[in-house]
Amino acid sequence: MFKKILIANRGEIAIRIMRACKELGIKTIAVYSDADKNALHVQHADEAIHIGDSSPKESYLNADKLIRAALDSKADAIHPGYGFLSENASFALKVASVKLTFIGPSADSIRAMGDKAESKIAMKKAGVPTVPGFEGLDSEKDLKKAGREIGYPVLVKAAAGGGGKGMRVVNDESELSESIESARREALNAFGDERLLIEKYIPNAHHIEFQVFGDQHGNLVHLFERECSVQRRHQKIIEETPSPLLISPLREEMGSAAVKAAQAVGYYNAGTVEFIVDPDTLTLRQGSGQGFYFLEMNTRLQVEHPVTELVVGLDLVQWQLRVAAGERFPYSQEQLAQHGHAIECRVYAEDPANDFLPSTGKLLQYIEPRGPGIRVDSGFTAGDEVTHFYDPLLAKLIVHAENRAIAIRRMQAALKDFVVHGVVTNIDFLQAVLSHPDFANGEVTTRWVEKTLESGSLLPENRQQAVELQSLIAAALADLAIDNRQSKIDNRSEPDPYSLWRNPSGFRN
Amino acid sequence: MKLHFNDITLDISSNGKTFALTLDDKTIQAEILHAEIGKLDLLIDGQRVTAYVSSDNAKRWVTVNGQTFVLTKSSGARKGGHAHHAAGELTAPMPGQVRAVNVSEGDAVTKGQTLLVLEAMKMEIRVQAPRDGVVSSVLVTGGQTVEREQILVKIENG
Repeated sequence: MFKKILIANRGEIAIRIMRACKELGIKTIAVYSDADKNALHVQHADEAIHIGDSSPKESYLNADKLIRAALDSKADAIHPGYGFLSENASFALKVASVKLTFIGPSADSIRAMGDKAESKIAMKKAGVPTVPGFEGLDSEKDLKKAGREIGYPVLVKAAAGGGGKGMRVVNDESELSESIESARREALNAFGDERLLIEKYIPNAHHIEFQVFGDQHGNLVHLFERECSVQRRHQKIIEETPSPLLISPLREEMGSAAVKAAQAVGYYNAGTVEFIVDPDTLTLRQGSGQGFYFLEMNTRLQVEHPVTELVVGLDLVQWQLRVAAGERFPYSQEQLAQHGHAIECRVYAEDPANDFLPSTGKLLQYIEPRGPGIRVDSGFTAGDEVTHFYDPLLAKLIVHAENRAIAIRRMQAALKDFVVHGVVTNIDFLQAVLSHPDFANGEVTTRWVEKTLESGSLLPENRQQAVELQSLIAAALADLAIDNRQSKIDNRSEPDPYSLWRNPSGFRN
Repeated sequence: MKLHFNDITLDISSNGKTFALTLDDKTIQAEILHAEIGKLDLLIDGQRVTAYVSSDNAKRWVTVNGQTFVLTKSSGARKGGHAHHAAGELTAPMPGQVRAVNVSEGDAVTKGQTLLVLEAMKMEIRVQAPRDGVVSSVLVTGGQTVEREQILVKIENG
């Protein structure tokens, strides 16, 4: 096993990895940028190394600085977390070239799954269902022909793409030419690569992904699905497992397809195979392979891994470390089962009333919920500054309960106990989604948030006027108490009026 | 005494342990049961209420029953909390960093043209001209950090 690991990441995921290291007796090294000097992940580590300026390019995305830090601190492995350099094949190679272990799959697996066109070709070859479509077409004439064959609406998307960039929905042949041109331009700008692929557009899709896990001895299993259809701007907001849509034997079929997909690229460590599922064709479906399609594979640990951990009862990060060190993964597919239901809500520092734009500031209060079946993975504490440099994820709130209905109620109660002052959060918005009948019925598709917001039926919960009045009274009494206190003789000089609260009896007359 | 939050005025009188708060001719009885840093336990018209309260200059963040409100305290009950910007002033819709400034003073711009690009938390926002006009001043430079509502560019009618 490793003695010391450098975590090439920040925030909640860096802390999550450090926890697993501590439990396995491994020393941890944090890296940090200027903005993160006092960040929580730095305090959690055994050692911390400053790697540069706040801009990610100068710090968390700088491969050479990270590797230098690992060598200087005599680490024997690097965990990339998610985001940043986690899916960068040349970083994985660089790490290996200086005789350090990259905690993740091989650079070849990362590369094979990194290109949307190449991976789709590989999946077709391996017998994994893919969205009907074509890769490697160049001329507009060929794409037009392909569009007719597939049938509109179609999707043109960048082969090198991700995050919705270089992607266009084409409803009719008359829009094709313009869509190709603008998708190419965006793809070239974002990825330096203008190759496109064209495929059937499935408008009412569920996003269902399978966690896979393998060791370096050829063992590879799936750890069931995660339903991630609640999305905004291609970003997941709420994830859960099991999926309310999946029933046997579809679950087993998709699980086998996920394993097949991972095997096709010689995968080991934790990975996620994403599928889109068309509920309209599912109901008609008889044979196999219809209704679900391979979308892409994420060759890293996923943000939403905790819901899987709770339901299958495994510590995925500990197992990442153990299989990277050469251990065998001891569980066969038959030994794995789902227990109960888990939901994750991503609490973001963003303002739903301001078009979900990020909100920055100092966390004046930050109180996490507690209770049976509640887990919070977070990278912040009260007094921390939320800056504009990084992802607006404040915390992941995860609940586990015996069934879906109870898990939803547990999440609603937990969100109610989450207090964040200083930045605006999406907590109200999460509550609005959780209490919507479509969510209760498991009918949310990937475009649901957008459509429901447009229709006006997903406004933040109608604020109870009584609660608003109570808040006003609370604000007034807090201020009044301070004024009272200040008018009395007070020989201590306390510059911040709210620090008077340290002596509560002061305003109890 | 009177306190003003947003555009609401509260008239408050104290009667020993209890307070009487009047707004819009309605009077509410309230009592502070317990207080600690950032948290008040109150009795409002006989109902127990726990409120988390934080202060940031004139701003008050209050959470009651899982709902968070941001109130602005003022010296008088003037309408409108937001700063009013003149029609030709383009402001930052979010705090962040200026990634690119595409125009300079004196440039003629057309409606929809991207004048500058802001970046925050991995998100890119294009600030576009709301109408045709001429750039009368550019108040920021590339790389600069800006606050929400900060004025970025001024445009005059061409």
